[in-house]
Amino acid sequence: MTLETEVQSLRQVPMFREVDPARLKLLAFTSERVHFASGQRFFDRGDAADAAYLILEGEAAVTLEGPQGPIRLALLGANALVGEMGILADQPRSATVTAEVPTTALRIDRRVFLELLSQFPQIAIAVMRELAHRLEMTNQQLAQMRTG
Amino acid sequence: MSGGAGAAGQTGTGASRAAGETPAGGRTAPGRAVGQESLDKKSVDKASAGQASVAPDPAARAGNDPEATDAAGGLDRSLFRYIWRHSKRDQILICSVVLASLPLYFASLDLPRRIVNEAIQGHAFEKGNETAKFLVLRLQMPDWFGHDLSLFNGFDVDRFELLFGLSSMFLLLVLINGAFKYWINVAKGALGERMLRRLRFQLFSLILRFSPNAVRQTKPSEVATIIRDEVEPIGGFIGDAFILPAFLGTQAATAMAFILLQNVWLGLLAAGVVGVQFVVIPRLRRELLRLGRQRQLASRRLAGRVGEVVDGIEAVHANGAEAWERAEIGHRLSGLFDLRLRIYRRKFMVKFLNNLLAQMTPFLFYCIGGYFALKGQLSIGQLVAVIAAYRDLPPPLKELIDWDQQRLDVQVKYEQVLQQFLPERLIGADGTGLDEPLCGRLAAEGLGVQEPHGPVLAGVSLTLPLPALVGIVSDGGPAASTFARVLARRVVPSSGRITIEGRDLSDWSGAALTRRIAFAGVDPVLFPGSLRDNIVYGLNRRPPPMAEAGPDGRDLAKDLAEARRTGNPVEPFPADWIDYEQAGVADAAALDALILDWLARIGMGEEVYRFGLLGQVDPDRHPELAARLIEARVAFRERLAAEGRAHLVEPFDPARYNRQATVAENLLFGVPTTPFLTGRALAEHPVVRLVLDRAGLTDDLVTMGERIAATMLEIFRGLPSGHPLFEQFSFLAADELPEYEAILARRTATEASAARHGGSAFNRIRRRWIGLGRYGSADATRLIALPLAYIEPRHRLGLIDDAFRDRVVEARGELRTALEEVGGVDFYDPDRVCAAAPLRDNLLFGRINQSVADAVETVTATGTALVQEMRLAPAITRVGLDHQVGPEGRFLSSGQRAVVSLVRALIRRPDLLVLDGALSPMGENRARTVLGLLLERFGRENSLVVVLSNDRLADRFDHVLRAAGTQIHAPDAPAPGAGGDVSGTGSNASGGQGPAGAGAAAPAAAVSGRAGTETGPGPARVDQDVKA
Repeated sequence: MTLETEVQSLRQVPMFREVDPARLKLLAFTSERVHFASGQRFFDRGDAADAAYLILEGEAAVTLEGPQGPIRLALLGANALVGEMGILADQPRSATVTAEVPTTALRIDRRVFLELLSQFPQIAIAVMRELAHRLEMTNQQLAQMRTG
Repeated sequence: MSGGAGAAGQTGTGASRAAGETPAGGRTAPGRAVGQESLDKKSVDKASAGQASVAPDPAARAGNDPEATDAAGGLDRSLFRYIWRHSKRDQILICSVVLASLPLYFASLDLPRRIVNEAIQGHAFEKGNETAKFLVLRLQMPDWFGHDLSLFNGFDVDRFELLFGLSSMFLLLVLINGAFKYWINVAKGALGERMLRRLRFQLFSLILRFSPNAVRQTKPSEVATIIRDEVEPIGGFIGDAFILPAFLGTQAATAMAFILLQNVWLGLLAAGVVGVQFVVIPRLRRELLRLGRQRQLASRRLAGRVGEVVDGIEAVHANGAEAWERAEIGHRLSGLFDLRLRIYRRKFMVKFLNNLLAQMTPFLFYCIGGYFALKGQLSIGQLVAVIAAYRDLPPPLKELIDWDQQRLDVQVKYEQVLQQFLPERLIGADGTGLDEPLCGRLAAEGLGVQEPHGPVLAGVSLTLPLPALVGIVSDGGPAASTFARVLARRVVPSSGRITIEGRDLSDWSGAALTRRIAFAGVDPVLFPGSLRDNIVYGLNRRPPPMAEAGPDGRDLAKDLAEARRTGNPVEPFPADWIDYEQAGVADAAALDALILDWLARIGMGEEVYRFGLLGQVDPDRHPELAARLIEARVAFRERLAAEGRAHLVEPFDPARYNRQATVAENLLFGVPTTPFLTGRALAEHPVVRLVLDRAGLTDDLVTMGERIAATMLEIFRGLPSGHPLFEQFSFLAADELPEYEAILARRTATEASAARHGGSAFNRIRRRWIGLGRYGSADATRLIALPLAYIEPRHRLGLIDDAFRDRVVEARGELRTALEEVGGVDFYDPDRVCAAAPLRDNLLFGRINQSVADAVETVTATGTALVQEMRLAPAITRVGLDHQVGPEGRFLSSGQRAVVSLVRALIRRPDLLVLDGALSPMGENRARTVLGLLLERFGRENSLVVVLSNDRLADRFDHVLRAAGTQIHAPDAPAPGAGGDVSGTGSNASGGQGPAGAGAAAPAAAVSGRAGTETGPGPARVDQDVKA
């Protein structure tokens, strides 16, 4: 797997769909590819948010520690981006992410990511668009819950 | 010559040599006497009594070479007196050789006349003689003196033999004169250099004696300039000071006398021109001197200014004052330029005049001398000889004039140098005195310290029973700190005195006090060197015994003789100067253990351990540790395997490509020790390139370089240069982008051209001619430089395949064979420690697989556990003591610097340790721990004085002094009776005002100061309490 395949994966992420390939290549190049063994933690709830992860291969579970053991919130597969909210909001991790099977991910360093955002408005706008989109979704869900 | 200790006290050259030749006796005898005395008088502090027996008594040390006492006594006001005092023997010797050479010089002037007259023109054969006498040795006297004194009647020779004989004699004289000149020049040079050495050493010794005030006024870079540059011409001149006028003067006088003897008129003519030269030229040069002096001062100030800017570069950057500083320096440079220009104009004008005068004389000689010759009053031989003699006249004259100018110039320089070293700027030389423990009743009597802006301490009187733990609570003003510094002898009080058991502290010898008192302030002074060097700095007090041979095989006896001749120290250096006895340990290893113990207690052990992990282990110096490291290396691997983590580290294997290491590292398979093999320079190394060519790797690397350059150009384009991402991630620096773009463009053009025109030899040449040579070696080198740093799993450009790896491993072997002869690489070897690599890498002996999450943390944890199990930590920490602290300790944090400074003081086991803000850089928590530690250790045999910024920790001290304005109160003496309690509480109340007053403005401090003087009787009462 080379940089090119990682760029392909990044293009699958809605947030980066519109971004120039050269910029995605820069993002990929400045990120690290890391392997997680099955059961190895990406990060724990409460950890400092220092990076976002793009899953390239494998699966990872998002869990919260409940009174009766961990509650699984979601299962992420290839091309899923996780932990990006933490680095944007500069807040501790809100959930724990664990590799379900041997997993390869692209670790996007927080500092580098913010550096790219400030340098390339195109990426910043893409991120904003995605966030606005999510906010919109949340609002709709909220409205549905109120009415429903 | 048996001076010994008896001659020790005398001054003067003769005595110096005498004493100097028996250094051992001169030094140890008085030293032992002092030790005996102190042993008799006290038995409290055994260690320091033993110390005293080896302590070098200053007088005895000076006696070792009494000329060194000059360094303590300052310099002569007049340069010539200084020169004469220190070098008269050499000057006289050289002068006499000069005089001895003169008759031969005269003969060499006379010979041309004889060759022309007697041999060529045949005057010797005039009376029909077939033969003439050759080599008649007689004392040649001028005609008017009468008969000659005959020594040898000579050989009979014919005309040709006479010619050749005389010519050979001429050649011989030239050789002899040359030999004389050679000897004189060497002797002169050595003399000058010796005097320069002496002068520089004296000046340096004087700097060590600068009073605090003088230090404050001095710019370090200016003083450095004085010692380095400004005395240089003085030294050059010293060799010439007496000899040059003697030599050239007599030479010129001889030539002049010779001319006069040949023809009085021509002689007078020459003398006249010379006289004009001598009178006019120096006058013209006076102005030059004045300008030169200005230039010296201006350039000294420039050096000082540059030094200031460098020291304060941070402030310059922080305040954005670069432009202002540039303009300021530009202004100074323009001033310097202007001065130099004026000097040049004048100088070359003088030169022109000088040349003109010098050329006038030959003209007159040809003209008038020819006239005499035609009239028959002068023989042709005489004319030739006169002209030859005259040709010898101007150079010495010119040099004499130069000498005179130099003399004036150097005298001025010398005086300017002296200005910096006036006696009033110095503190007294270290004399003899008491050397006893600082125990008993310490009393301050009317201490006052005056600063330029007013009094800081006024009439402070108090007593303290030592040893004790003393806290001085500051009121925010300078009084507490100043009082502590007075106690530590860092500040000389302007009035009053300090006594111990009734004896004035100034009765102690300076050396004893610096040994018995240690001080650590808020601004630790660290020197470049290792942590250890800095910590043991205060123990470097024991001159080691004389070595048998020099450290690098130099002739030690000769070195010592030179040192004595120049008043320099004769103690060996570099050598082990550490006084282990004072630290209370037996040897270097025990001292290291003691230092590490202190560092661990203070809480810097962990940091030093980490320095050790990054430090280097020299297997020759630490064979034991090296062997254990190899052991640990194997154990590390086994342990990782046992934990199922073997995949986290890819070990260095001579037969395998290490995927986690760079291409360069895989090629070298070692750590480069020269800059020629480090980083990109590897691509330019001829040996490396040869091996790459042979292994067929060159083309691969060039292609990889192209791919890397193309990718970097693609993804980093648009980032502003200087962006942090460049530095962190790019293979190229921002300013290299255009260069590599051009390289790639050339390559594309070449390929296009090759495709169009084919690859014939003609076309290849044509392409090279128009600058399209793809494999232009410079381009290739630039491209090869890029993949050297490439690691496939990290950079993921897909450039490396198995075939490439195999070839790199193959080339690795060849490269090692080729480089082992040249050197410059410390190769990896599974069974050996790589001295150039950090200890940590030697332990790991591989590269951590970065693409496994948390690999570094896991491997580090395993390594730490292993180190602990194998008990390697102490040895590793000891390596950490070799950590370099950088200039002024800048590689350390301020907290670490403070720890180093404190341990430096502690390791000396002082009688009295004074801390003034020394703990504050450590941070509050550590400072409190350290203070607790110190309070435990001190108070029984040694005293501790700490300046406290508030009351919080005051109750842990035996005695708490309170600063208020310009006063120090001793309110709560230890309470042997009720009276003590009363006085304690009473003064506590008044002392309590202190901190409150500190917050307020100056008037409040003044009020409390007055209050302090009003409570004058207070200290006396405390005093009584103590006695009771």
